[in-house]
Amino acid sequence: MNRNITILITIIIIAAIIVISQTVFIVNETEQVVVTQFGKPVGNAVTEPGIQFKAPFIQKTNYFEKRYLEWDGDPNQVPTKDKKFIFVDTYARWQITDPLQFFKRLTNERGAQSRLDDILDGETRDFIASHLLEETVRTSNRTPLSSGSISEILEDTLVQIQVGRKKIQNMIQEAANKEAMDLGIAILDVRFKRINYVEDVRTQVYERMKSERFRIADKFRSEGQGEASRINGEKERELNTIQSEAFREAEEIKGKADAMAASIYADAYDQSLNSRELYSFLKSMETFQKTFDKETYIILSTDSELYKYLKNIK
Amino acid sequence: MADFQFDNNQLPAILRKILTNLKTTIVVIIVVIALFGIFFQIGPEEVGVITQLGKYSRTVESGLNFKLPFIETVYKVPVERQQKLEFGYRTISSGVQSRYSKSGYQDESLMLTGDLNLADVEWVVQYRIDNPYNYLFKVRNPENTLRDISEAAMRQIVGDRTVNEVLTVGRTEIAGKLKELVQELCREYSLGVKVDQVVLQDVTPPDPVKAAFNAVNEAQQEKETLINQAKSEYNKVIPKASGQAKETIQKAEGYATARVNNAQGEATRFNALYAEYIKAPEVTRRRLYLETMSQVLPELGQKIITDQDGNAVLPLLQMQLNRSENTIKNNPNE
Repeated sequence: MNRNITILITIIIIAAIIVISQTVFIVNETEQVVVTQFGKPVGNAVTEPGIQFKAPFIQKTNYFEKRYLEWDGDPNQVPTKDKKFIFVDTYARWQITDPLQFFKRLTNERGAQSRLDDILDGETRDFIASHLLEETVRTSNRTPLSSGSISEILEDTLVQIQVGRKKIQNMIQEAANKEAMDLGIAILDVRFKRINYVEDVRTQVYERMKSERFRIADKFRSEGQGEASRINGEKERELNTIQSEAFREAEEIKGKADAMAASIYADAYDQSLNSRELYSFLKSMETFQKTFDKETYIILSTDSELYKYLKNIK
Repeated sequence: MADFQFDNNQLPAILRKILTNLKTTIVVIIVVIALFGIFFQIGPEEVGVITQLGKYSRTVESGLNFKLPFIETVYKVPVERQQKLEFGYRTISSGVQSRYSKSGYQDESLMLTGDLNLADVEWVVQYRIDNPYNYLFKVRNPENTLRDISEAAMRQIVGDRTVNEVLTVGRTEIAGKLKELVQELCREYSLGVKVDQVVLQDVTPPDPVKAAFNAVNEAQQEKETLINQAKSEYNKVIPKASGQAKETIQKAEGYATARVNNAQGEATRFNALYAEYIKAPEVTRRRLYLETMSQVLPELGQKIITDQDGNAVLPLLQMQLNRSENTIKNNPNE
């Protein structure tokens, strides 16, 4: 008797546990739940976290994410409007906003990812193809900072853009949301994670960058040579100026001195007939002294002043 | 059964005691598990986020805490720890000499600039979790999301700048702008993350064009060298020439002084002589003449004195002179 009661109580407890586990379910902060009855959704989706109840056995819980989810696109090779081939790698954040609808249309996350692939890749391709490359790279029309002499040579400016990266991203998001409207999801943000040239174009760009740099290098070199020549010319000019000015000044000084000397001599020698006579006499004497030497032959007549007493004493 | 009995006898005393009090043992084990479920420790850099039956209940600080067993769950979030994400490289081992790996991350760092050139930008984002609730419950894979945000933001910023800006003057400005933009997006995404710092690491031209960029630097150096050489040549020549010019002028002035002094000297001498000469011109002149002659004549080689009538000997003398001249010419040794 006593033993039977124990068995009965045990059975009741086990049954209660099974029923409770079938009735009660826990929803985490990160989850939302759609309750289905024989595969058909019942009532509204459960989005509040905490403990919840359902009919046991006949109803089933389907859990979905409530958090923002990732979508990462494959790098797509897309031509831009100006026929430049680029890789575009986009990412998006999305959320299951209507779990009921989501459950009906996409069943699970994998289905959603594949639908998002279709929608976002397609829209990205369309919008990239209808814009110039600049529009997808640039966001605003800002004036670039000057980096000194190099940017002067390059005439560093940015092309004016009409639309810009942000607007293109927004347009893709808008268009994608329109398509995803009845899927129970919302695309919160679409962004270009990476944009890059395809291999061939990249090589061309490298070549262009190289030639640009070599142009700058040549400019620098030629500037250096030009400046050096200018300095050299300046040197020659200054050298000539200095030397000629010195010569002129020296000649002026000498000339003035010569003139002064001449006037001094003239004042002394030109006093009278006698002084002129004395001067020419002295000069002659001086000349004799200077010009006569051992090689000189002299024939003197006894008539001369010097030897006139040789003949007779008178 | 017999074996068990045998073993039972061999067991140590303490185990035998446990086996005999099986009910008590089970209760003790359950209590221990419950205690472990109740008490938990939160580290100094963490906070604990507690959910009750899946629903957020409270956040607890570091130290020893307790919760209801079985129905409450704790998530530990390191809010004080600064974490970092590296782009374009990864630290393999950090230490006094950290080692980095760059290969394979080129896709992360290679990006288009606003003038459609390419630049290689490596950077690091340092962040902390400042809202554990959002970090845990708002976004799935928050770290990956932050990575995507940072890459997109960096490309947006670099996409608005020229390659020269990115490589030279724009560095600090880019880091500042990036921090702002990433923080703004984190808020938008309810990521629960605060960006502490963005640091730009190597910002370089892509490998294939590095040589060309270096050539520019070399050319710049070459330019400076050429100019410096010219300046040094200038400096070598001009001061010397200035000095020489001064010398020329000084010499001319010296000449002038000498010339005038000489003239004055000669004039004074002449005047002195003239003053005496004027008193007896004839005598003085004769005296001077004879003095000069007596001075000059001894120096002369040949002296021939002829009579007034002896002019006829002159041709003869001429011949003799010619002959001696010839002999001198023929025998220069004589």
